[in-house]
Amino acid sequence: MAGEQVLIVEDNEKSMKLFRDVLTAKGYRTLEATTGGRAVELATEHGPDLVLMDVRLPDTDGVEALSRLRANERTASIPVLALTAQAMQGDHERFLATGFDGYISKPVDVLEFIGTVRKHCDGRDR
Amino acid sequence: MSDARAAPERADPVGKRRLPGPGDNALVRGVGRLPAKVHTKLLIAFVGTAVLVVAVGLLGLRVLGESNDRVGRLGALQERAFAYGKLQSQISDVRLLLTENPGQDFFDVNPGWVPTGRELNDIAIDQAVANALTRIPPATLVDRLGFVPPAEDRSVLRRIRAKIGQLSAVMREILEPANRRAPAEQQRRLRNRAHQVAIDLNRLATVLVNSTTAKTDDLIAQNASSYESSRNLFIGVAVGAIILALLLGFVLSWSVIGPIQRIDSRLAAIASGDFSGHVDVDNRDELGALGANVNRMNDELSRLYRELETTSRHKSEFLANMSHELRTPLNSIIGFSQVLRERMFGELNEKQEEYLDDILSSAHHLLSLINDVLDLSKVEAGQVELEVAPFSLRDALESGVVMVRERATIDGVQVALRADPDVDLVEGDERRIRQVIFNLLSNAVKFTPAGGAVDVSAAQVNGEVRVSVADTGPGLAPEDHERIFEEFQQTGAGVEQREGTGLGLALSKRLVELHGGRIWVDSELGKGSTFVFTLPARSSSNGR
Repeated sequence: MAGEQVLIVEDNEKSMKLFRDVLTAKGYRTLEATTGGRAVELATEHGPDLVLMDVRLPDTDGVEALSRLRANERTASIPVLALTAQAMQGDHERFLATGFDGYISKPVDVLEFIGTVRKHCDGRDR
Repeated sequence: MSDARAAPERADPVGKRRLPGPGDNALVRGVGRLPAKVHTKLLIAFVGTAVLVVAVGLLGLRVLGESNDRVGRLGALQERAFAYGKLQSQISDVRLLLTENPGQDFFDVNPGWVPTGRELNDIAIDQAVANALTRIPPATLVDRLGFVPPAEDRSVLRRIRAKIGQLSAVMREILEPANRRAPAEQQRRLRNRAHQVAIDLNRLATVLVNSTTAKTDDLIAQNASSYESSRNLFIGVAVGAIILALLLGFVLSWSVIGPIQRIDSRLAAIASGDFSGHVDVDNRDELGALGANVNRMNDELSRLYRELETTSRHKSEFLANMSHELRTPLNSIIGFSQVLRERMFGELNEKQEEYLDDILSSAHHLLSLINDVLDLSKVEAGQVELEVAPFSLRDALESGVVMVRERATIDGVQVALRADPDVDLVEGDERRIRQVIFNLLSNAVKFTPAGGAVDVSAAQVNGEVRVSVADTGPGLAPEDHERIFEEFQQTGAGVEQREGTGLGLALSKRLVELHGGRIWVDSELGKGSTFVFTLPARSSSNGR
């Protein structure tokens, strides 16, 4: 099943560790970026199967990074999930409208998190 | 220069240009600029008007007095004319009698003719002349007039008296018996003299009468022209006074009304949230002070408004940051606990599993607390904007029931939904209404003991949709009916349960009220509780 490569974009060290360990334990390969700019570089370089994008990032924010990925032919079709602690009302709809393929709110439910990642990776394979 | 140009622009805020009215008149503004209180100005205006009225009245009295004076003089003249006329007629009588004596004019015309046989008659006539003369007693002439004749008349009267004296002397001479027998030539000379004096007398009397008549005519003419000029003066002064009083009233009232209108339109603009302009009141009285205060109020309100906007924006940013910053550590707490709990990295003993469950439930409690606090803060900050759209209330109720059913089944509580067929589509923010429904349902299930029941129903009542959630829990004391809708006001039972944030009902109340509905509880201790909320029914057809 696994072996897919997931690019995790997250500026919080401990959250990064959680996502990395969970995904690794489930057999995914991971790429890690703590800034939007680095995320675009890694995505362009490695062409991962899925990007988990934190929205609030120190430099280029997630929305800006998403539009750069979409603008590049190599990365345009990679599914990108918003990963954010901004769970205020209307955020969910807003992120989907921005062009994210899905939305995972922090704090995550680990089982839901794995399910969502799996769904998007599988959906891409088929 | 540039100030004078800028002033009207300041006075008229953008989009509310005022047409120039009488209040913008230079004279009106000038009066406004006089450094005196409105009270003083009004007093001066009223006193000024009163003075004008008095002046017109005095002028009228003077004109009347002059007229009366002239009437008096006319009366005196007429009296004189009458007296002189009487004098003239008496003198005329004397002269006529003298003429009756044939000797007189006849001798004048025919000096050579000598009369015969008429002496007796002559004597009778001469006697009559003498008698007539006594009717004009020269000594008392002035006294008998009954008035004081003017100086020029007096000299004439003096001459008349002298002439009467002369005539009397001549007549006495004529009637002297010695003279009657005198030669005719001598008698004729005497009569001639008498006649000459009578002619002089008559001339003098005529002079008197004519001069008096001329004076009377003069006075009448003078009276007419005087009346005309007095009337014109009176009308002129009265019209002038009226115009002056009206002008005074106009200027003064507009020097008050103008600023009031300008202040009023500025206040209206301020009331509608426009702080961009200043009112232009250059009065140096109470209204000027009022205008200055309005401008100060405007500036202060504008400053506060900007401050409020900044504060509101800061609060909004703060809420977003809080939400983010509080959730980030919870992500690690919940995530790592779940990883351990799911045994992804190895087995757990019983205690470890129990503790992980405790950590997870506490973390979830903390999370819902954070969510509720943030929601409530947003509602209170007025930052919740309802996304109003028609949605199926029935579906919302059904999904609410589904969400609590698992917990209810575990607790042995029956949950039933009964919605009237005419309740389906309602207008509102579906997510928020679902939040309210879930809150009421989870409360009901939480407080209902095993074997109890929760009944959810929805119906149209009096043009509004009414949703009730009835439980068979412990019920509420009357004093708690209002209190439980306040923040952190759980009942004793709620505190014992150690569940819930104490914010759910407060938030539900705010959300229902945002929709224009009401929320309340009907409950009695030991008889369960029924929480009810209403939503205004859809204005148009409600799906049926």
